Amino acid sequence: MAGAPSPFAVALGPIELDFGALPESLFQQLMRHWLNERHAPDILPVQAEVLGALLDHIRRQTDSVQALRGDPDSSEAEHARIMLVQTEVERVKFVVRSYIRTRLYKAQKFSRYIAATPKVQEKLSQTELDHAKRFSQLTENHFRVSVLQALPPHQQGLDDNTPFTPPMISEPDKSRAVFVHARGECPPVRLPDGTTMQMKKGQIVLTPYAVVEQLLEMGNVELI
Amino acid sequence: MALPISLRDSITPPELELIASEELVEIVPLISMERTAFISGAYGPLRPPNKARIPLWMAINLKMKKKCHIVPPDWLSVADFLQERLTQETTQPEFSQFPFRFTEIAKLLLDTAPDDIPNSDKIRSLLKDIREARQAKSRDGLQKIDHSELSLPNLCSMEINEIRPFFVRAMGVLTQLTRDPVADSRQFGV
Repeated sequence: MAGAPSPFAVALGPIELDFGALPESLFQQLMRHWLNERHAPDILPVQAEVLGALLDHIRRQTDSVQALRGDPDSSEAEHARIMLVQTEVERVKFVVRSYIRTRLYKAQKFSRYIAATPKVQEKLSQTELDHAKRFSQLTENHFRVSVLQALPPHQQGLDDNTPFTPPMISEPDKSRAVFVHARGECPPVRLPDGTTMQMKKGQIVLTPYAVVEQLLEMGNVELI
Repeated sequence: MALPISLRDSITPPELELIASEELVEIVPLISMERTAFISGAYGPLRPPNKARIPLWMAINLKMKKKCHIVPPDWLSVADFLQERLTQETTQPEFSQFPFRFTEIAKLLLDTAPDDIPNSDKIRSLLKDIREARQAKSRDGLQKIDHSELSLPNLCSMEINEIRPFFVRAMGVLTQLTRDPVADSRQFGV
């Protein structure tokens, strides 16, 4: 993981991106987590700290723009600056929104799995968790009222486990393949065919999500 | 729904462009500006005619208002370089090395600042040839796919995005074919 983000180091970075060579700024961190979230089949641990710090930063930037705008003496050059700052705020807001929406989508899709599995609940923020639980209750109530109560009792269950049919509670498919980029040297991982794989820095691999799940959580790899 | 269907499986090319726009480029500003604190860092000061390094999105924004010239990166400014890469690409079996987000950056620059790039037409057609050569290679790479792992050195973000749906599905099918239900639960792990 990168240390404290330093704006100067980023400003001096070369375009021949060797990504991960410089300490990441907060926004770059969020973009990485956003991409991970978009590509991972499972819901990932919430990045509350990064998100909170960025939202604070957005608020500060917006406040100073407001203050500058109210100043009638501001020059032409000032206006160009204000415009650039606002453009950036919108860019950051876009990523923040997309990140939250992706998580919301997963929370709804797996709501019944989340409500039934305390271990997964730790990955969600309190608001996301409340939403997922309420959502699963609503759908279950709806199923009950509209169909299930008219069925014979032994067919009313919502968590039956019949062999050879898909489970009734949809779970993330961790065997789905993802494209992985190693951000640094990685500890070896076991592949489904029994062999081990050790990723070197910069290596790009297509592999099932389950193989790299822990590396992703530790921040050794990112999904691309 | 929280996320439109088109966004559920993968990132989209416009979103990749948004990400690539965070890369830094060199510009020759035509206006002056004090050093300013942005969320992604502090940039400036801009003092014509001194060069400055700013994010690509900012450069494009200024370029559209005719307030700067963009200095294209080395790999985009020398036609010889791309010509050489094309020869490499067509003669060697492996992918040649490119910056990870070169397609997005090249497209953004060629679209907004063709007048700042010498021989932009030549570069455009070279990039197209390179793209086709690389595409053929990634299709060949599909032969090597199995259910556990496929290494893709030097592949770029746009190319990965292009092959994603097909490759992910192919690997999914192979996983299903080889799945051993008993070992399934304990097979994975670090």
